[in-house]
Amino acid sequence: MTTQRSEPVYLNLLRIRFPVGAVTSIAHRISGVLLFLSLPLLIYLLELSLQGPEGYIKVLSYMGNSWFQAGLALLIWSLMHHVLSGIRFLLLDIDKGVTLQAARRSAWLVNLCAPVLTLLYLWWVL
Amino acid sequence: MSRPTHGLRDWLLQRLTAIYLGIFLIYLLLHFLQQPQHTYQQWHDWVTQPAMIIAAALFILALLVHGWVGMRDVVLDYVHAIGLRLTILSLIGLTLIACGLWALRVLLQATA
Repeated sequence: MTTQRSEPVYLNLLRIRFPVGAVTSIAHRISGVLLFLSLPLLIYLLELSLQGPEGYIKVLSYMGNSWFQAGLALLIWSLMHHVLSGIRFLLLDIDKGVTLQAARRSAWLVNLCAPVLTLLYLWWVL
Repeated sequence: MSRPTHGLRDWLLQRLTAIYLGIFLIYLLLHFLQQPQHTYQQWHDWVTQPAMIIAAALFILALLVHGWVGMRDVVLDYVHAIGLRLTILSLIGLTLIACGLWALRVLLQATA
């Protein structure tokens, strides 16, 4: 028997609390999927850049396109977050930083460092 | 249909490949940080050094394993309808194999 509620369910999004570690973890998954999806584009760019001077200049000209830069920013963030949270998971696996306080602190560190490093990196490279 | 599960083996593979991928990626990021501008010739010569070709080929193999285990775990967690699950897993597997072969061909052609 299934009972169905007929009245609408009220979800107050401001009252749902996600532990910071859960944010780190779900972002690890999202960034991983984004990196997988970007593989064909990255291989295409690598191929083009190695085909000859014309292809290489074409790749560089993409770098000036603001849509491409936005995509690149998302990709670099994915990479930064995936690698940083990956290092955090590896350390947790060998029992480093497993107390609640340390784990929360490292989760905050990862969540904040990924976007900051992304901006710094793009500012430096572009 | 039954098949032995390889949870521990996959868990370990995911971590070993992660370590290699991480080291290679940090090396790449540092390289571009140190030298953001290349000419075509510098870029081509840097990529086609024998040590780089070997390291990159290993990177591609590690990436295929890592991407497969990771994407499979995500699909198994969120997609429960068996037909859809098998379809998505097949597409992911084929995509990874195709990307791996394509990337290896790019490396080989660059050295030729």
